[in-house]
Amino acid sequence: MSAVTIDHDSHGEHHPSGLMRWITTTNHKDIGTLYLLFSLMMFFIGGSFAMVIRAELFKPGMQLVDPATFNELTTMHALIMIFGAIMPAFVGLANWMIPIMIGAPDMALPRMNNWSFWILPFAFTLLLGTMFLPGGGPAGGWTMYPPLMLQTGTAFPFVIFAVHMMGISSVMGAINIVVTILNLRAPKMTLLKMPLFVWTWFITAYLLIAVMPVLAGAVTMLLTDKYFGTSFFNAAGGGDPVMYQHIFWFFGHPEVYIMILPAFGIVSEIIPTFARKALFGYESMVYAVASIAFLSFIVWAHHMFTVGMPLAGELFFMFTTMLIAVPTGVKVFNWTATLWKGSITFETPMLFALAFLFLFTIGGFSGVMCAMVPADFQYQDSYFVVAHFHYVLVTGAAFAIMGAVYYWLPKWTGHMYNETLGKWHFWMSTIWVNVLFFPQHFLGLAGMPRRIPDYPVQFTDLNMLSSIGGFLFGASQLIFLYVVISTIRGGAKAPAKVWEGAKGLEWHLPSPPPYHSFTTPPDKEVWEHPYRD
Amino acid sequence: MGFHTIKNAARAALFLGLGLAASAAHAAKLIADAKYNLPEGVTPMSREVYDVHMMVFWVCVAIGIVVFGVMIAALFMFRKSKGAQSAHFHHSTLLEILWTVIPVIILVAMAVPAAKTLVRMADTTEPDLSIKITGYQWKWQYDYIQNGFSFFSMLSADSDKAAQVDSGIDPASVKNYLRDVDHPLVVPTGEKIRLLITSDDVIHSWWMPDFGGKTDANPGFVNSMWIKVEEPGVYRGACAELCGRWHGFMPIVVVAKKPDDYLAWVKAMKASGGKYVSPYDGSLEDTGSPVVFSDVNYNNVMGTPAGAVVPTGSTVSPAMTAAMSKGASAATSTAISAVPAAAAPAAWDMKTVMEKGQQVYAQNCSSCHQPDGKGNPEMGAPAIARSPIANGPLAAHIQRVLKGKGIMPAWGNILSDADIAAVITFERNSFGNHKGDLVKPADVKAAR
Repeated sequence: MSAVTIDHDSHGEHHPSGLMRWITTTNHKDIGTLYLLFSLMMFFIGGSFAMVIRAELFKPGMQLVDPATFNELTTMHALIMIFGAIMPAFVGLANWMIPIMIGAPDMALPRMNNWSFWILPFAFTLLLGTMFLPGGGPAGGWTMYPPLMLQTGTAFPFVIFAVHMMGISSVMGAINIVVTILNLRAPKMTLLKMPLFVWTWFITAYLLIAVMPVLAGAVTMLLTDKYFGTSFFNAAGGGDPVMYQHIFWFFGHPEVYIMILPAFGIVSEIIPTFARKALFGYESMVYAVASIAFLSFIVWAHHMFTVGMPLAGELFFMFTTMLIAVPTGVKVFNWTATLWKGSITFETPMLFALAFLFLFTIGGFSGVMCAMVPADFQYQDSYFVVAHFHYVLVTGAAFAIMGAVYYWLPKWTGHMYNETLGKWHFWMSTIWVNVLFFPQHFLGLAGMPRRIPDYPVQFTDLNMLSSIGGFLFGASQLIFLYVVISTIRGGAKAPAKVWEGAKGLEWHLPSPPPYHSFTTPPDKEVWEHPYRD
Repeated sequence: MGFHTIKNAARAALFLGLGLAASAAHAAKLIADAKYNLPEGVTPMSREVYDVHMMVFWVCVAIGIVVFGVMIAALFMFRKSKGAQSAHFHHSTLLEILWTVIPVIILVAMAVPAAKTLVRMADTTEPDLSIKITGYQWKWQYDYIQNGFSFFSMLSADSDKAAQVDSGIDPASVKNYLRDVDHPLVVPTGEKIRLLITSDDVIHSWWMPDFGGKTDANPGFVNSMWIKVEEPGVYRGACAELCGRWHGFMPIVVVAKKPDDYLAWVKAMKASGGKYVSPYDGSLEDTGSPVVFSDVNYNNVMGTPAGAVVPTGSTVSPAMTAAMSKGASAATSTAISAVPAAAAPAAWDMKTVMEKGQQVYAQNCSSCHQPDGKGNPEMGAPAIARSPIANGPLAAHIQRVLKGKGIMPAWGNILSDADIAAVITFERNSFGNHKGDLVKPADVKAAR
């Protein structure tokens, strides 16, 4: 490491090799790779929990796991997917792409970058390890509502500590991104000339810095309620269990957008490339993202409409929540207008971006339905909600991440991925993810609560269908794993500008880019405004 | 190529769009009519909720047809493989204003009726009747405040048995699997009933789809919702908020009776000396097909055989029977284990009491203390096997069960003397404990 920092004239020639390279690295590309590989691993661990959940729900009756184990699996599935798969994947993409999209030599705070990644393996080892403790892992849902969460056994303090570590990691990553974007842009690249992926991450990073400490506060209060005799959430001591939900969702709703705004950025990169046409309404896209971020702070209680709020509160949160549909709609319309009169081709990244466009919109529709408080009294805590947030998070966030991987993998590795297999992965995923989640809307409407390990027999047919979709969607991801590994290992040589319609600085670097890129800032002529012809 | 290809593609896209719209509308119609939609329900509010739901659903379908139609058309018309050249526009102020303003108008149009419904739902004032509902892990308590009686309602024994891991019982063979309780809530039709909802331990949520929604049960706070059931019948719902291990196993059953029948039931309950009087009139066996959501109009199809058999354990006096509507006998629908007020078995011998105790243990104690009595110390449920309490003085054991400790509830408020006596007998003579005590209900009564 010292060689890298001291010897400025021989970039990348003397860094440690083997395992030590990865442990000591401060290079944004290495750290990006680490984040992405970690996220891929967590995606399969969290996915394997989902497979057990769907297997237990294949038919009525308890066949595979105890109800307590089932609750552990649903809790862990969510924690792993949210904090272990989706968020680190976006941070990995930010690490890889933001410096080379804005013409920076690296992230502004490289050593902190190393720390923010290397906290994660410890945090998740701790979290997953609780499943082997006596009494089992956390089983009160990822939302960790008291008093139920306080019934957790030995695992309790370990879970809280793991959440603290994840929070520290996220906040450090976010600070790094903000500082990098504000200080290391290429000369004359004003904020409103940045690529949209950079813009969405810029706003996301502020959301992270604002709300992760709130989560830390909430879980710390749980900790003191359990071990130090406080009564924040205990009515008998003057507290209120509902207050936890308010604090949690003040974190939780911005968290939802933390998991979708970078996806908006990715889709805004991919669609113009394969439509061979400038992004429609660049400025309004930026303002829409900023509006969504602002609104995310004043809608939190729509996660708790049935908790017993005053009428005025219910009305306020209903109206603000419905308002979110406006900037979200603007984004969808802008993407559609970008496609209009384009010259479209359908490579795998584009297919994922288009699937995002359709399926995220379906998640948006069910979101508007959930915003209607009277109807939400029925939807709340039912499978309708499960369907809604999986459309937003799987076919939204996860599909965007997969699209991003196909889009930039040739840039990262210097190899083209196998397009045929990529298309197989896409079509298998898209078909089966709908078989998996679409029926869940109807299960919820028909009265099936979420987070139950067993169900009345009239829900059997759609649960079976959903499980079959689940197994095949899960199996389809093995294609993804194979494509990624084989592209890393070899393949046709990728050119600097991998895609015909691609614009932006990253395509001016060779594939793969040198270990240290943009050690001198690029000229304005080189980077051009990525969304202007 | 060029022009003709694009024209053909446009025509194809138009046909596809129309076909898609038609089939989407057709599918939506099927869905709206089918069992996989929200039930319209049987209260004024549930019907309004259903209307709000269908309104926003159709609005979404309509917007979806337009937006997806345009997207699909673009994907067919502007393909590079068909020779499409990309245009150079990148914004249009008019369009951007339009697609900001039009959604706002649509949203306001939807918000107004939704807000009106919400205001009506929130008005729980001036009820004809108030019933307090308390959630427990994992049962409901229904307290008829004005009438001075209350009872617990939990998963029926046959569902419970079938729901054990690898029980070997086919859930389809159990009637109303996971949707039946031992003691349903009974309400009158046509009256405004305020439900006061709270919890004794963790958060639960009382969800009855046919009554238009759910309300959370928060410990230490009381929420309210109101219902006015229009149709007599049997309605089924479930706990909707994750509440621990048996969250999926605490259903809700409400029997709605005509006011006269309801009053007769209340009278019978008051006279029963703490025993639950079944609201069913003997014809339950003929209703409640597991594939329908509500067994509506149950009373209307009543054809009660005279002298229906009354299962042991729910003895109902002839006087009470006479007080029941239409002179029908009462018959509990489910097995008698863990019935709070179940009468003691006639013969109080070791074998009978151990069997009863085992049933009570399985339904009330095993989820924390585990079926093998080894406990779950991490959650604050110590082992019963070889424990100082179960192997120490009897008086202390009775006190612990009656009063509870930590997360263990005070079972004295929940179970009958006979149940407590039986379960203590069972605990002192199982799991490697050999005290040999045969506890009598009178011992428990004396210790209260």
